[in-house]
Amino acid sequence: MLIVEDLHVSVGPTAVLKGVNLTVPTGQVHAIMGPNGSGKSTLSYVLAGRPGYTVTQGKVTYEGQDLLALAPEERARSGLFLGFQYPVEIPGVNNVYLLKAALNAQRKQRGLQEVDAFEFLGLVREKMKLMQMPETFLSRGVNEGFSGGEKKRNEILQMLVLEPRLAILDETDSGLDIDALKVVAAGVNSLRSPNRSFVLVTHYQRLLDHIVPDQVHVLAGGRILRSGDHTLAHELERRGYDWVISEAA
Amino acid sequence: MSSPLLTRIAAEHAAALAVQPAGSPTLAHRRSALQRLLARGLPTGRDENWRYANLRALEKANFLPATAVAAADLSLPAPIEGFARLVFIDGQFAPQLSAGAEALESATVSRLLGELPTEDQAFALLNEAFATDGADIRVAPGTAPVDIEVLFCSSSPLAAYPRLNVQLAPRARLRLIERHVGSAGAAQFINSAVRIAAAEGASCSHYRLQECGPAATWTDTLRAVIARDAAYHLHLLHLGALSARSSIDIELAGPAARTRIDTVSLADGQQVHDTMVVVDHKAAHTRTDENFRGIAGGRARIAFNGLIIVRDTAQHADSAQSLKGLIAGSDAEIDLRPQLEIHTDEVRCSHGATTGKLDEAMLFYLLTRGIEPEVAQRLLKWAFITDVVAHIDVPALRTHVQRSLASHMQDAQSLEELLS
Repeated sequence: MLIVEDLHVSVGPTAVLKGVNLTVPTGQVHAIMGPNGSGKSTLSYVLAGRPGYTVTQGKVTYEGQDLLALAPEERARSGLFLGFQYPVEIPGVNNVYLLKAALNAQRKQRGLQEVDAFEFLGLVREKMKLMQMPETFLSRGVNEGFSGGEKKRNEILQMLVLEPRLAILDETDSGLDIDALKVVAAGVNSLRSPNRSFVLVTHYQRLLDHIVPDQVHVLAGGRILRSGDHTLAHELERRGYDWVISEAA
Repeated sequence: MSSPLLTRIAAEHAAALAVQPAGSPTLAHRRSALQRLLARGLPTGRDENWRYANLRALEKANFLPATAVAAADLSLPAPIEGFARLVFIDGQFAPQLSAGAEALESATVSRLLGELPTEDQAFALLNEAFATDGADIRVAPGTAPVDIEVLFCSSSPLAAYPRLNVQLAPRARLRLIERHVGSAGAAQFINSAVRIAAAEGASCSHYRLQECGPAATWTDTLRAVIARDAAYHLHLLHLGALSARSSIDIELAGPAARTRIDTVSLADGQQVHDTMVVVDHKAAHTRTDENFRGIAGGRARIAFNGLIIVRDTAQHADSAQSLKGLIAGSDAEIDLRPQLEIHTDEVRCSHGATTGKLDEAMLFYLLTRGIEPEVAQRLLKWAFITDVVAHIDVPALRTHVQRSLASHMQDAQSLEELLS
């Protein structure tokens, strides 16, 4: 699904990623953990195509194509989804309008007809129930006046409606209380399938109690220093990141 | 402003008066208005409050007004349901295109053929000197608000001098739509004058749409005097004209008088839109809410100058200004000036003015959802003005305005869903 090879990325004059290698096979959930400032969010943004991040070396292959050659909207339409760490508020753009426009953009890409309005609302309502979001959210501006937890739920709602092939969730767990965390995890788990992959970027192991990953990677200082199965997350929780960094040095 | 311009105005004025019947009751005040104008002169770019207006457009203007109603093959915008309609073509009343005013229960509508009292404002005097027709609207209190649409349509290359005199009796309620539309080709000069007086407890919602033709030069002078407990809500939309300048004075004359001014200006290409709003708080507990949203594309220039004066007689006055500009063209310019002049201590005044480009984070967010960059940009422009447009509380008019805005943003189709 996703192959990242020797990826070097700079933001302005600063090198942030210094040779990341990562392979996420189809159907798997990979967690990327690491201390603050390790480059986790940079990796998420680069995969989604955010301007301002310069790839100086390396390549990224997504479903056999050169991901870095695609514009952000093309990546999205070919099934890549980024769940933002800080979802943006867009007052004046209706939540339901965005959902529908996003879904139709993907359907168009796949040569499908626009979604039927009635069917669409049914789908959205069902997913909102799962995310325990009141229907009034639909008519509001995108993330406008939402609490931190509501914004994260809204990200997962979008993911559920769009059914991406590869979902990158950037610290979706940060700022969530334990109940909201369970709701978000249930949303993610409901979408796990042999055809779909996830990259969960997280700071804590907490989320991984609810979404058990196939692999855990430690990103620090712009490189992946260690990879292992889900038990690595527990070890990190117990021992912190320093031992990984000193062992890798 | 050069005196050759005034000389030309005087000559065209003489030509205009020459075709009036001798002894016409309007001649005296029109002559007097011209004299006052010649004495005070026209504003120039050196005047602080006029530096953003495109006064040079006047050099090319033809001041001579049309005198006869022109062709009947004009395509007028659809009427707004439930509103009486008065139509003026090139400043002249067109009874055959108007309907419903006679049936109004609580309002009397007549032609304004005589004098419209003016302060010493240059363009109001210019209107007074040349105008020959207009509408006089008197509103009495009633069970429901009075709904009137006045449509000013310019079709000839000659000048037009629209004018309105609106008086609301105590507790009268009026919803007034004032629209200015024009044909595409003609480089008309349109100079409008409007006076509004709202007596105690009256309420007036005034929807002004400037949708003149793309070559037109538009100037207007609006003066409103709001008495105790009365409310005046002005919605101003600048969409058309090559050069447009609005000079608006609102006097909050009685205690607890309040006003709300929601302005949207969309300019592209070489358009220049300049709006100056002065609100004068003269009494206690008066309140102003002022919102401006402007989007300038191409090489367009947009200016909004909002001056709020709080007199020493206006204790506990309250005002809030929110002025926002969005620069959408590489050579576009937006100038926002919130100004406060406060002569008493017991006031609460807040103001904010920001001008910037489209928010990159918002744009990226939309792109990651698969939205095309062009659509994302239009969506964000739309989002930028939509909260101000949402205050238009006549649904049919709001829909019209939304569609009109969408088509100005060349996005009628993809925004259609948003509007339904």
